[in-house]
Amino acid sequence: MKIYTILLPLLYCYSAYAEQETLVLVDNLNIKETHSQFFKSLQERGYTLTYKLADDANLVLSKYGEYLYKNLIIFSPSVIEFGGQIDTDGITKFIDDGGNVLLAGNSASSDLYREIASECGFEMDEESAAVIDHFNFDSLDDGDHTRIVVSPRNLINAPTIVGSQNTKPLLFEGTGLILDKDNSLVLPLLTADSTAYSYNPKSQVKEYPHAVGRKTVLIAALQARNNARIVFSGSLFFFSDDAFNAPVSKVHGDKVKSDESGNKELAINLSQWVFGERGQLRVKQVHHHRQGEDNSSDTYTIIDTVVYRIEIEELKNGKWQPFNSNDVQLEFVRIDPFIRTTLQKKPSGVYEAIFKVPDVWGVYQFKVDYDRIGYTRLYHSTQVSVRPLQHTQYERFIPSAYPYYVSAFSMMFGVFLFSIVFLYYKEDTPKSKNE
Amino acid sequence: MPATIAAKPVNGPDQGIFHNTAGFSTLITVTVLTLAWLAGFASRLFAVIRFESIIHEFDPWFNYRSTAYMVEHGFYNFLNWFDERAWYPLGRIVGGTVYPGLMLTSGTIHWFLHALNIPIHIRDICVFLAPVFSGLTAIATYLLTSELWSRGAGLFAACFIAIVPGYSSRSVAGSYDNEGIAIFALQFTYYLWLKSVKSGSVFWSVCTALSYFYMVSAWGGYVFIINLIPLHVFVLLIMGRFSQRLFVSYTVFYIIGLVFSMQIPFVGFQPIRTSEHMAASGVFALLMAVGALKYLHSLNPKGEWKQLLILGTIVAAGAVFLAVVALTYMGIIAPWSGRFYSLWDTGYAKIHIPIIASVSEHQPTTWSSFFFDLHVLVCTFPVGLWYCIKNINDERVFVALYALSAVYFAGVMVRLMLTLTPVVCVLAGIAFSIILELVLKEEDTTQAPIETEEVKNDKSGKAKKRVQETVQAQDQGPGLYARPGTVIAFMILLMLFSVHCTWATSNAYSSPSIVLASYGNDGSRRILDDFREAYGWLSQNTAEDARIMSWWDYGYQIAGMGNRTTLVDNNTWNNSHIALVGKAMASNETAAYEIMSMLDVDYVLVIFGGAIGYSGDDINKFIWMVRIAEGEHPKDIHEADYFTERGEYRIDAEGSKTMLNCLMYKLSYYRYDSGGSPPGYDRTRNALPGNRGFKLTYLEESYTTEHWLVRIYRVKKRDEFNRPRVPLAKRTIPTSNSISKKTSKRRKGLLKNKPTVVKGKKMRLE
Repeated sequence: MKIYTILLPLLYCYSAYAEQETLVLVDNLNIKETHSQFFKSLQERGYTLTYKLADDANLVLSKYGEYLYKNLIIFSPSVIEFGGQIDTDGITKFIDDGGNVLLAGNSASSDLYREIASECGFEMDEESAAVIDHFNFDSLDDGDHTRIVVSPRNLINAPTIVGSQNTKPLLFEGTGLILDKDNSLVLPLLTADSTAYSYNPKSQVKEYPHAVGRKTVLIAALQARNNARIVFSGSLFFFSDDAFNAPVSKVHGDKVKSDESGNKELAINLSQWVFGERGQLRVKQVHHHRQGEDNSSDTYTIIDTVVYRIEIEELKNGKWQPFNSNDVQLEFVRIDPFIRTTLQKKPSGVYEAIFKVPDVWGVYQFKVDYDRIGYTRLYHSTQVSVRPLQHTQYERFIPSAYPYYVSAFSMMFGVFLFSIVFLYYKEDTPKSKNE
Repeated sequence: MPATIAAKPVNGPDQGIFHNTAGFSTLITVTVLTLAWLAGFASRLFAVIRFESIIHEFDPWFNYRSTAYMVEHGFYNFLNWFDERAWYPLGRIVGGTVYPGLMLTSGTIHWFLHALNIPIHIRDICVFLAPVFSGLTAIATYLLTSELWSRGAGLFAACFIAIVPGYSSRSVAGSYDNEGIAIFALQFTYYLWLKSVKSGSVFWSVCTALSYFYMVSAWGGYVFIINLIPLHVFVLLIMGRFSQRLFVSYTVFYIIGLVFSMQIPFVGFQPIRTSEHMAASGVFALLMAVGALKYLHSLNPKGEWKQLLILGTIVAAGAVFLAVVALTYMGIIAPWSGRFYSLWDTGYAKIHIPIIASVSEHQPTTWSSFFFDLHVLVCTFPVGLWYCIKNINDERVFVALYALSAVYFAGVMVRLMLTLTPVVCVLAGIAFSIILELVLKEEDTTQAPIETEEVKNDKSGKAKKRVQETVQAQDQGPGLYARPGTVIAFMILLMLFSVHCTWATSNAYSSPSIVLASYGNDGSRRILDDFREAYGWLSQNTAEDARIMSWWDYGYQIAGMGNRTTLVDNNTWNNSHIALVGKAMASNETAAYEIMSMLDVDYVLVIFGGAIGYSGDDINKFIWMVRIAEGEHPKDIHEADYFTERGEYRIDAEGSKTMLNCLMYKLSYYRYDSGGSPPGYDRTRNALPGNRGFKLTYLEESYTTEHWLVRIYRVKKRDEFNRPRVPLAKRTIPTSNSISKKTSKRRKGLLKNKPTVVKGKKMRLE
């Protein structure tokens, strides 16, 4: 028994890390060196990294219908066409089948990047365009004002994705991204300041830039409906050792100075999120039954009291642990929700609701739809029928019916009396006549 | 149909013979009725012989399904059956929304046969129930007609009703519907009612109420009885024919019938709460008042009471009427329903309740269908009616009212032809019997007195007078040589009638409509079994709880044959739900997808007849979907959008844009390339579809049957639109669509500014 309790977490660990095969596509193997801190942190967390040149003729993502990799890192901005079997369709199919992708480009990225970005719901600015900010550039900038300093305040408010302790300024050098406002699945993780814009730094500004001010997104993310995650950074430099270690000092404005940029922390947080180490939820168990009974039933009668329990788990440090939150809601839906209630938190990740089934029959669904930024979408629906009362379930002796009972019984009694009178009266008359 | 033809000639000569002895006449009667039963049964078997023993059309599938459920789970479970497979997600309480008479009848037969160890499947009972009941209807009609006129007329009427197309249209084998047993109940109730009016006995009145109870349990048409009988009583009161017999029979019938009818869950409190039933209670109150006044009158039978009596009656009638009106205003009694209004104004349904008007059998009747369904009877029944009115008595008042009201209703709705048919058979039977009596009596004048006596035995005094009249009439009647001619002429007419009946039943009413047959140029028959193919596919290949959206016509069939959840079905109780489905069908794909995901639709099923020229398909019904949807969603759906500017309903290139992009159009013509030349030609509407080669975004084709008749599409789930792709048209930054330079041999990718290793020269140290 003891062995089991020891073995089980081990098994969990194993299963959590078994899927961490990661393919890294690079322009040249130099990147392995220039971005060594980032890759090292991944390896320390148990990822097996396979470095391949982006134009390698033997590139494959899947063999015999099975994916060889769970995650894909594309750090090859200059690629025009991938080698081997990888292309835009291959990558989108990888995403649709649940794979996670981390992409980083720069201002020289080719149209291939743009294609992939569009497939994920955002756009990358034109070739050779870079994010320029004349007010927030770093002192090490080479004059184009493209090495910009971004305040951590511009990060999205989602600790699950970006971590909770981002205080150091961030260094960014690369192109801007444009997001579709109607698109609810795409998240702007990091936006530029209001003074920034995205344009070719070498040419005069003739047309209105595609991205201006805070609409210039520097790092965007997508959590697809199948919970595949994509992080798209406009800057490959962002992940480099150079950016991780460089001191930051802003030339203008508040002249922020820092010995070290916040890039490393953010990059690691992002990689943890994108490869699914954080923000994973799952439903362990759902149980519903009539109050006072133990057995689950898929048919309820109107105005029954129903107990609904759902057990939710979160992946933490490679282990599924009870999830703690107090904003999980339950809906009891028949086209429209008839009941919407917050589930009560019970110990060990159990959430419970006790409610009275509405007085309307039909086919209902218990729906838990927990959709929070940074977490995988937790959706669970159970279909039950709510039937009307059976003919034996109606109340029998209701007070308002008493007059009718009285009337019926008095009538019966009256007929009884009458028939006696009638019968005896009839017998009497002939007698009197005979006499 | 040898039996039919045999039955008829037997009938004619009978007239003379069967008065000889009572035993012999009984033998003739029994023989003729048996033959009528056989003929009626046999003529309804075309569908089974041509196709197979299968349930027909739409409603019968529900009846069959619920009968099977009842047989399997027992009556009480049937009564409490909540069907979550229908009207998703509303569900349907089946027990409380059906007339259970049909299911109970076949369930009882099933139970009885199984008690005798005859292992018959419930489906066979359901298929053959209506033909068997047609024989019972013939007997009931015989009884009714003999009550009205004579046994000879009764035999005629029985033979007519056995084979007349107007009735067999609803009672062929496989047409397992309420009407199949309800016409029997109707005729039998009327027979018992006449019997009780005649005798004034409580016994017959109770029997009438029982038979009425059976009718209530069987068919919504019971309203016809509960209005016609009070009308009869009312007219008798006006004619001054009040009698104790009438008083006893009506009061007993009304009270017992009322209590009984309220036992049917579907009827419930309607008999005391709705306007449709108020005539009966009004007449009951009036009859009570008249009875009381009559009693007062009998206490002092002098002249001055007479005016009081009439005045009192009028005052009572007025009071009853005002009371009903007042109760309606107070909301205690529900006002007339829309279905009822549509009986008086044929345009009413089209404006206010399109769902009723959309059903073809609710359309006004054309003249030709009177002839088609009744043939020679439609010409002869006025004769019978005229004789009945001429020799009026209490019962004949009834049949005259029955005939007049039924003729009216049959003119309003094709479906109500069914209520006209029995009375036409009765009156035509009377007419033929009179004609034959006229023609045949001369040859055996010696029998005339016996005839009179015979009639006197089973008829009231009035009938006797009538016979004497006819005897007189026939003395001045047709000449000696004209008579055989007349007989032959009428025999030929009757033979033509039976030929027509057989032909009409066989050709027009024996198609199961779920299996279609088409005939080639050489007369060969091809069976199109697409419906069952599609429903079979559904039941085999979709999830157990898959929800199928289709137009309501196919709801019962999907539930019955496919055993899957439907959104709407032929029990059109919830107009707004149907309108929602209609709206989905009439909207474009995106809007339809919203509705479909709201309703959790998994599959969409459409009927498309373009490939084989089947005209009853969804595109032809589509305009009704639009109308019904517009009724509930006037902001989103406009009927005019689906017509061209000139008001035409077309699907070719000139069709309106809304039409060519709505879901129904797309689902019908998606990938359609069959149907003759040019490929994709629509043979039903004789046009080339205007919008072709389009792609579906939110649905994908799952199955199309052999002749394209049924097309099933799967609605994609939301997770299948995994990534919010930015479509090319919406991109702000253009991307050059470079063609891949990779070949099967050269699989290397391309990098910009790829660092190339330049082999330098080694410096030579000199």
